[in-house]
Amino acid sequence: MISRRALELLTAILTGSFGVAVVVSSLDNGIGWSSEGVDPGTFPFLTGVIIVLGSLYNLVRGVLPAVRLASVPIAITPMELRRLAGLFVPAAIFVAAIPLAGMYLAAAGYVFAVLAVPRHQSLPRALAVAATTSLALYVVFERMFQVTLPHGALAAVLGF
Amino acid sequence: MDNLQELLHGFTVAVTMPHLLLMVIGVLLGILVGVLPGLGAPNGVSLLLPLTFGMQPVSAIILLSSMYWGALFGGSVTSILFNIPGEPSSVATTFDGYPMARDGRPTTALATAFGSAAFGALVGVILITFLASWVAQVALAFGPPEYFAVYFLAFASFVGMGGAAPIKTVVALAIGFAIAAIGIDTVSGSVRLTMGIDELVKGVSFVVAVMGLFGIGELLVAVEEEFHARAVSSTIDWREVFRAVARLPRHGVALLRSAAIGCWMGITPGGPTAASFMSYGIARRFSRRGRHFGTGEIEGIISPETADHAAGTSALLPMLSLGIPGSATAAVMMGGLMIWGLNPGPMLFVDQKDFVWGLIASMYVGNIVAVALVLLTVPVFAALMRIPFVVIAPLIVIICVVGAYSVSNSYLDVVLMLGFGIVGYLFKKLFYPLAPLVLAIVIGDKAEDAFRQSMLMSKGSLEIFFANRLVTSLVLAGIALLLLPLALQLVHLLRKPASTAAEANKEKAII
Repeated sequence: MISRRALELLTAILTGSFGVAVVVSSLDNGIGWSSEGVDPGTFPFLTGVIIVLGSLYNLVRGVLPAVRLASVPIAITPMELRRLAGLFVPAAIFVAAIPLAGMYLAAAGYVFAVLAVPRHQSLPRALAVAATTSLALYVVFERMFQVTLPHGALAAVLGF
Repeated sequence: MDNLQELLHGFTVAVTMPHLLLMVIGVLLGILVGVLPGLGAPNGVSLLLPLTFGMQPVSAIILLSSMYWGALFGGSVTSILFNIPGEPSSVATTFDGYPMARDGRPTTALATAFGSAAFGALVGVILITFLASWVAQVALAFGPPEYFAVYFLAFASFVGMGGAAPIKTVVALAIGFAIAAIGIDTVSGSVRLTMGIDELVKGVSFVVAVMGLFGIGELLVAVEEEFHARAVSSTIDWREVFRAVARLPRHGVALLRSAAIGCWMGITPGGPTAASFMSYGIARRFSRRGRHFGTGEIEGIISPETADHAAGTSALLPMLSLGIPGSATAAVMMGGLMIWGLNPGPMLFVDQKDFVWGLIASMYVGNIVAVALVLLTVPVFAALMRIPFVVIAPLIVIICVVGAYSVSNSYLDVVLMLGFGIVGYLFKKLFYPLAPLVLAIVIGDKAEDAFRQSMLMSKGSLEIFFANRLVTSLVLAGIALLLLPLALQLVHLLRKPASTAAEANKEKAII
């Protein structure tokens, strides 16, 4: 179970650290005023400072037990967390597999796994949907619009 | 009367066989993304974007804008028949649309929704026809300080009127600016904010952000709650369609008021979602039958739908004439304009007359095409909703992955897109607004350039933003909008503290 407060905290820390990274990184470009006008780092530096300050404010608002947050204390229940993971984890594995297996194989495998493993669909049907997906991708992108999708290291080894 | 002549010329550009065909394709694809939860107008338009690079700009914008109309209509179909808003902007339509459909009047609900939506869109287009070129004319005299002031006003109005927690809006905007700054700086040519990753030199495309924020993010929000697509009957009774549309003029006051709210919210970047909620709220307060709202009231459908479409349409006005998009989808379209080599802003009305008036004329035709198609295809798309969500979800993930990859054939973009997905989920869950983030990514560079050019002109003095009456009033209006939430809070504190229920409702209204 994840509370609304924890989620607010996590998000504020996330945005805040992005802000810090922006501030630090923009210092390399120089901030302030030079003979060529406003230095390239100035604008990002200012946005970074705004992000950090805003995140700090959101952090404090999120931690302090405001009346408003108390009305919805739980943000994600364990059940919901499981459903979220059920969608996101396979998607992340799919993306991770693309450099090796290529878009077509990875997409087909992904669809097949998501449909067949939790037994949402029968095996033949899952196979059919998976194959159709890859085929449709190939026809639409490679053929109709001439956009090459990654074929993957595996295909390169096999000589495609 | 010059405008009318230009418009007639625009019709000769827009009403050709290939363009009508593009409208039909665009509207159908739009209804599809509008119906599917997890895919919305911003995604749909950015998915199509890479496919339009080979087209004429006029044809491309007709395809994309038709898709936008289709998505606006498609969102209402699922709201009314399934109680599942396909688009955030059609959430308010579920309040009275679904109860009416459940009571055995689905045709009445749908026809009322489409009829009032078409009216809202029509008012929006008429506004664009007569106002856009005038605004552009004024804007032609703008220099960098005026431009920066207008950008500032746009961002400030998000903070002041967007409805989300003001500081969260500020953070979302600033993150968008920082993302826009990644890559090569357009003024000095130096590389910025790559954080040691060489591939980031090319920058982060708004398409990648939109795919993640709106695609994966929305999917994650949708998967949390299980869908029960218990549809009411989706057969259309054609006689009832005409009867329902014929009854619309009786609610003329609601129609006009909602259209006005929608146009206002569309031009100032409040967006369709805020417009539909605001219009519904106002209708409930002022209608004589306000107590019955939520049980299937006609005006409860008319008000959000009219405002939604009026806002969606008029959001293109500032995009065309000033180069400032009024909604997330308009921001994506404007990104497209820049990719096609057009410079959104007042010069369009001088250099690209065919493009501008072709687009405006196509808005009239496209909305008619959309109403006809959406009525004809309701049963088909209703059947689509019976496909289990577990089958649709992975397909949407694949579409987003391919969409992110095809922008610049980069695997890094795909990984970034997934990251944006998590951010989108967190932001949605905690009521950070997403539209300002996208808007800032698209026009961040332009706003920064305007600021730096102004600084060059004034040799580093901020006084240039108070140099003449126009720029001063723009800047002051912006500052006033920024301070508006603070002022409201002070008033709030002085009065008795309001009930928490009202606050919670307000938060709901933002998503």
